[in-house]
Amino acid sequence: MNSNDQFRELIEAYAIGSLDASERAQVEAHLAIGCSDCDKALQEARWLVSQLAYLAPNAEPSDMLKGRLLQTVRAEAAGPWKQPEAVRQAGVPLWMWAGVAALLLFSAYSAWNEKQLRNAVANLRQQAEAQQAERQKLEQELHASRVQLHEAMIWSDPKSVKIMLRPKDPKMPQLEAMWHPEMGLVVRGWKVPSPGEKRMLQLWLIPKAGGKPMPSMTLWPDANGTFTAMVENPPDAMSDTQALAITEEPIGGSPQPTSAPMWVGGVT
Amino acid sequence: MFSPRGSDEVSPDATLMQRLLRRDVGAFEELYERHSRIVYSLVLRILRQGATAEEVVQDVFLQLWRNSAQYDLSRPFVPWLLTLARNRALDQLRLKSERQRRREEQTEEFPQIASAAPEYEKALDEKRRAERVRALIGSLPLAQKKAIELAYFEGLSHSEIAASLREPLGTVKSWIRSGLLRLKEGLRATS
Repeated sequence: MNSNDQFRELIEAYAIGSLDASERAQVEAHLAIGCSDCDKALQEARWLVSQLAYLAPNAEPSDMLKGRLLQTVRAEAAGPWKQPEAVRQAGVPLWMWAGVAALLLFSAYSAWNEKQLRNAVANLRQQAEAQQAERQKLEQELHASRVQLHEAMIWSDPKSVKIMLRPKDPKMPQLEAMWHPEMGLVVRGWKVPSPGEKRMLQLWLIPKAGGKPMPSMTLWPDANGTFTAMVENPPDAMSDTQALAITEEPIGGSPQPTSAPMWVGGVT
Repeated sequence: MFSPRGSDEVSPDATLMQRLLRRDVGAFEELYERHSRIVYSLVLRILRQGATAEEVVQDVFLQLWRNSAQYDLSRPFVPWLLTLARNRALDQLRLKSERQRRREEQTEEFPQIASAAPEYEKALDEKRRAERVRALIGSLPLAQKKAIELAYFEGLSHSEIAASLREPLGTVKSWIRSGLLRLKEGLRATS
């Protein structure tokens, strides 16, 4: 038995549709290679199978069916020509195309909308950051203005006591301080040389009772050697303080002096 | 002998289908009158429910009307129409998923049918051929006839028929093939 014979035996069953899946796949694969003998046998088998319809008992459809069909057909014949249904069914239905188009449009709109939203959020974030920076700048300026105002008030108030801090080194400039009993203490300096590497200046309050010097604020002259520093709440009262002293200390300050005073001024 | 029908022979159905292409309602009505009974009989035999059968017949003829351009005029019309109706009716059954899957794989919107009819088709008119088909199949052993009917009207596979009839698979395969070959020989002998 050659391969054609093998498939020819299956042709009738294939035509009637009773082959199981594996045999059906074999026949279809064989037909796909273009076997003309089997194709011809299949055409005849299909015709033969169609004749089995005559085994059905005779029956007649209702007149209503004919009426419905003719009504539909006449209406369609009178109307505009429509695309054949099979053509539409063979491909993607129009409603599905419409759905796909709507989905694409919606996706495009969503993408565009998302981009717009992202841009809007980025702009808002930039604006918020700019506003935050501006607010911080204003707060710093306000704080500086308050400090300057506070310093000016200390400096001009008649209750304030002026203290001159004289240098131990005669080459160094003299510093001055103004101490108000309630508003605090301000220290100023001009042409002060920068401290050594990793060093800074620190103010000390020397008590009258002869106790240990009280550490206060740290100071750092600018490039021109100028500084102004204020202590709103000095560690000790003016009446209990004998003198102010400034030493050079490591960065961050010290709890007690680690070097000899560079400036000292008595509190009268 | 199976040989293509000559192209100069145009059947009345082919002529009506040509008119259908021009949206001739009269041609449609004539086609319906000629073939609605056998189509309805077939669909009713498969579905066994009159209302559903009429719905399927309506679909089949509307498809004929709307898609007439897809019909190959050189092909025998009635076998094609019956194949279309059978496929539609079997689709309606949808009894088992496997059977449905098999039908969906085989069913096409416009079924493949012989590109030409056998010579012996012309030997008998439709009425006499119908009688001959019934006689030939009716002469088969009851179980063999039942196997062919289950395959054709129920759309069952060999395995399903074997299970239904409680017969060996090989026997069922043999019954169906030999029954169809006997039908072919019987129709050929009549010509």
